[in-house]
Amino acid sequence: MTNKVKKNEEIKENKSSKNIILSVKNASYRYSDAQDYDYALKNVSFDFESGKIYAIRGRSGTGKTTLLSLISGLERCTEGEIIFDGKSLKDMNLDKYRNSDIGIVFQSYNLLPFMTASENIILSMDANGLKIKNKKEKAIELMAKVGLKESYADRKVLRLSGGEQQRVAIARSLSYNPKMIIADEPTGNLDKQTETEILDIFKKLAHEENKCVIIVTHSSNVCDSVDIIYDLKKVKEESEIK
Amino acid sequence: MFILKNAWISIKRNKGRNILIGIIILIIACACTITLAIKNTAVDLINSYKSAYDKEVTISFDRASLMKDFDPSQTEGRENAREKFDNIATYTISDIESFADSKYIESYYYTYSVGLNGNNLEKAEIESNNNMPTGFGRGKGNNLSSTDFTLTGYSSLDAMSEFINGTYTMNEITDNAWDIAFNGNYVFINEELADYNDLSLNDKIKLEDDDGNTYEFEIIGIFKENDEESSNTMSMFSNSANTLVTNASAITTITTNNEDLQATINPTFIIDSYDNVDKLQSEFYEKGLDENFVLQTNEELALSGVSSIENINSFATTFLVITLIIGGIVLFVINMINIRERKYEIGVLRTIGISKFKLTIEFVSELVIVSVVALILGACIGAVSSKGVSNSLLASEINSSNERTEEIGKNFGGTNMNGGMPNRGGNKGEMRGKGMPVVEAYDSIDAVVDMKVLLELLGIGLTLVLISSIASMVSIERFSPLTILKERS
Repeated sequence: MTNKVKKNEEIKENKSSKNIILSVKNASYRYSDAQDYDYALKNVSFDFESGKIYAIRGRSGTGKTTLLSLISGLERCTEGEIIFDGKSLKDMNLDKYRNSDIGIVFQSYNLLPFMTASENIILSMDANGLKIKNKKEKAIELMAKVGLKESYADRKVLRLSGGEQQRVAIARSLSYNPKMIIADEPTGNLDKQTETEILDIFKKLAHEENKCVIIVTHSSNVCDSVDIIYDLKKVKEESEIK
Repeated sequence: MFILKNAWISIKRNKGRNILIGIIILIIACACTITLAIKNTAVDLINSYKSAYDKEVTISFDRASLMKDFDPSQTEGRENAREKFDNIATYTISDIESFADSKYIESYYYTYSVGLNGNNLEKAEIESNNNMPTGFGRGKGNNLSSTDFTLTGYSSLDAMSEFINGTYTMNEITDNAWDIAFNGNYVFINEELADYNDLSLNDKIKLEDDDGNTYEFEIIGIFKENDEESSNTMSMFSNSANTLVTNASAITTITTNNEDLQATINPTFIIDSYDNVDKLQSEFYEKGLDENFVLQTNEELALSGVSSIENINSFATTFLVITLIIGGIVLFVINMINIRERKYEIGVLRTIGISKFKLTIEFVSELVIVSVVALILGACIGAVSSKGVSNSLLASEINSSNERTEEIGKNFGGTNMNGGMPNRGGNKGEMRGKGMPVVEAYDSIDAVVDMKVLLELLGIGLTLVLISSIASMVSIERFSPLTILKERS
């Protein structure tokens, strides 16, 4: 059901040097209103390491978003388990997990439109319970990191372009310095140029800040930029082969 | 803290909706304040009315028990009934004092009557119209109906029920009458008897018993009888024409002087609660009360006057409940709409790791902040409006209460309630003191919005808010953030 594609030759598969931050072990998911045999995702196993950028690709209906919702703690596995930093998500407070350990970036940005760019970022710091003196200063600093000018800080997000909103969303996901960034089609709504800029940010986060970046995507451009690609195939297809 | 900050931001952002919610809560708060104030006022008025009527217990014949075995067609049956009637025990003042020594009795008073003849006083009559008192008796001597006059002694003003209920009203009275009326040989006489014998205030009259003992009394007041319906149509005089009103101690002096003189005692006990009547009756039987006597209360009379106020009270309760139900439903629906409109916001906040509990607190806080402001405004408007509304609703009760108050004062010969006369007293278990009964008069009913009303309002308001918040609580619990965000995408 899954294939692993090694992209960069310089990344050696040396078990001793592995720094696995997240393991998906035989994870299956079935919607509560589905039939017993009707799995959205079945027996998926992946490992994700810090300092690498991953792409999860697959055709529509292969369960990419379902997998993303499982590893981001928005849903729980029906079977199997997900281990983050040595702990099973089953035993973790998933709200705490989402506002401390991981950052999530969506295709449609999911910013609060009635707030300014900096307020959206500060809200995430508040949710984390981050105690720093000047949160706005920190927000501006994060915005600079993703290539946004200070003058954007007080703009309502609806007055920003798609690429700018996505940068705000990335800045928000970095506000509490998580170990892992999970992105669902983060460049799906952006032009090529902006897509490349956003991907550069993700690469930097992975390679310079040692974060694990997981991107769910259809985009070949994205797949060309990542270190490792995981292919997802339809559960149905697999059963048909059998 | 950021939850409250977010709640405040949301309130400012959704001004229109929050103003609408505020107006609805303000109307509910206003209606509740007025209704609660009316209810409280009505309850106060009922209590006041009931307290004007003491919880009285009197002793009366159990006629049904007496007549139980009576068969009028049988001579034997009549004899049995007569024998039974003759054997009913009679009681003295000391028996009354013994009965009154009970934890259920707060105070007591009594009337004490004897029959005497005139010495220098002529009976007003064409035929005998003596008012035969009913009640306990003492002695087996002369029957009251065989004498010219009935001398009735009251232990206190409370006992003077004919003056309180308006059967008698004082026409003339000496300035110091109420200072001396209950201590010494002083009488109030009927104006017909006064006219018949050409008597006026401060004149002295002499009465005598069958043994020839004479008793002198000074007239300190002249009253008239108003009860035309019960007057004897066979006589040109009213029933009370030959009734002389004095104090109980004067009667005690007479009965002490002549132990054979028949006297009638009518005690009234003021009890702490109507609920204790059965226990009191058992206690009286243990203390020697004949089982042919039973205790009767004035509860029915006391409650009859407050029925209209109780109707207003129950109407207010119904109105309050309907207001709360309608208000609650409207708030619930607005909350449902609010939650649906803010589904995306909930999805985003859940995704970034804000717990369901914190989100619920935020949504409830928004409603509580708006509600508290609206409740305060509503309470202020309600407080201002409630007095006028209450007074108009309770106008007839206020009038009747005032009229009753004034009437009692006039019956005793005063121009107002207190009339410069001493108040009645009486400690628990003691005989009522001498003095004027005090009934509170109302210029208007103050529908007071006091701390009790405010706390009730706060309780109702917050309950309503919490109930209507169930919509947000359930929605937040049920919403899946991923589903919300997918829908949005």
